[in-house]
Amino acid sequence: MPRLPIVHYEAASTLAVVVSSNEPLLFLSEDQRVIAASASFCRAFEVDPSTVTGRPLGEIGDGEWDMPRLASLLRATASGSARIEAYEIDLVRPSRKTRNLVVNARTLDDGDMDRIRLLLAITDVTDARAETRLKDDLIRDKAILLQEVQHRVANSLQIIASVLMQSARRVQSVEARGHLHNAHHRVMSIAALQRQLSTSSGGRVELRAYFTQLCQSLGASMISDPNRLSIAVKVDDSVVEPDFSVSLGLIVTELVINALKHAFPDDRIGTIAIDYRSSGEDWTLSITDDGIGMPMGTDAPKAGLGTGIVEALVRNLNGDIRLNDAGPGTAVTISHREGSGLPTDVSRAA
Amino acid sequence: MKKDKAVVLVVEDNTIIRMGAVDLVLTAGYEALEACDADEAIRILEARSDIDLVFTDVQMPGTMDGLKLSHYIRNRWPPVKLIVASGAAILEESSLPSGSRFFPKPYDENAITDAMARLLASEDPAGTAG
Repeated sequence: MPRLPIVHYEAASTLAVVVSSNEPLLFLSEDQRVIAASASFCRAFEVDPSTVTGRPLGEIGDGEWDMPRLASLLRATASGSARIEAYEIDLVRPSRKTRNLVVNARTLDDGDMDRIRLLLAITDVTDARAETRLKDDLIRDKAILLQEVQHRVANSLQIIASVLMQSARRVQSVEARGHLHNAHHRVMSIAALQRQLSTSSGGRVELRAYFTQLCQSLGASMISDPNRLSIAVKVDDSVVEPDFSVSLGLIVTELVINALKHAFPDDRIGTIAIDYRSSGEDWTLSITDDGIGMPMGTDAPKAGLGTGIVEALVRNLNGDIRLNDAGPGTAVTISHREGSGLPTDVSRAA
Repeated sequence: MKKDKAVVLVVEDNTIIRMGAVDLVLTAGYEALEACDADEAIRILEARSDIDLVFTDVQMPGTMDGLKLSHYIRNRWPPVKLIVASGAAILEESSLPSGSRFFPKPYDENAITDAMARLLASEDPAGTAG
């Protein structure tokens, strides 16, 4: 019985390249018969390598590659009218999970213009897709969790603020009421930061927005006549770490409370100006009022908790605090110079 | 019929915050009612016709949160003024009934009483004059 004549031989090097391809790869004739399949193809899609060569694509394995869409795309590629690039197709096999495939097909360009042959590269993206989905789910879960935590923090701060204000309304002593109000302002100062953080990305704080909100909150609760007293905020474009901003925010809170309480007696009209600027690692924060000025010497009031808080925070920030007569009023300037707190043993031979 | 005191219904699931809000309403000189969720708030609104303003939290257990409650109230009792507070820092203003006021928690008490006074002073049902 005569064997069918083999008309063409493929170059051994072409076949070797196909078979050894890392990426699952099929080398097909124009009529979609398999000339060669890569070992990686047979491994990935569980096809016996000895049963592949010479068979139509639709018949290999258990016939799962008999996909009308794939066949039509390959025909279009062979006729030169289309090129399959990153075409997505599902491989459906009985009693096995459907795999998501991305296929790329092109004609082989080896100088032989008379015979069209096709290269079909197949990437199994099932696991990558599942991983992406999982990652998206995790990101969404994290955002929900973060939002939940922020709600809880806001609610907890509200509980503290509510308790402090209820106590303040009940106590008889003016001094005790003042302390409770101050405690309330400190809580609101931290709440303003929390709010700023919850709307910022990457957990960094825009100081201008934070100070503006903070001073609005202080003004709303402490200034009864906005035409008489106002707080002006001037801050550069600094964006800082939360720890740093919470210290600055508490310093501003204490100094603004202090100015509002002491600098403008007898319905005096005035302004408190907050100014913050930075350059590299150096920064300067000033709180200036145009009130009656600080009493000096024996008239100076005893330092309270507010002063203690400010001093401790400034020390912690390696800052330097100065008190000046602003004529009229008082200017408190807190500055930090990089290296100012360090021993000055800089080499002279520079 | 003109009452001498405006009636404010506080809706808040957290006991301490609700106590604080009721205290705040009383200190401001209004009559205070309280509910711990939307369902209770609706029962009270159905039982009494003299409620002028509802001050509600957003995140609450029950069939409706404070946002849904505020829309429900606006539809069913249009003259009732609304103040909404939430732990979420930003809430789309468009998601609230028109004329209602929003405050992030923790809210400043003066800001709340100020908003109450303005809303209660305006005769405009949607409160837009405030």
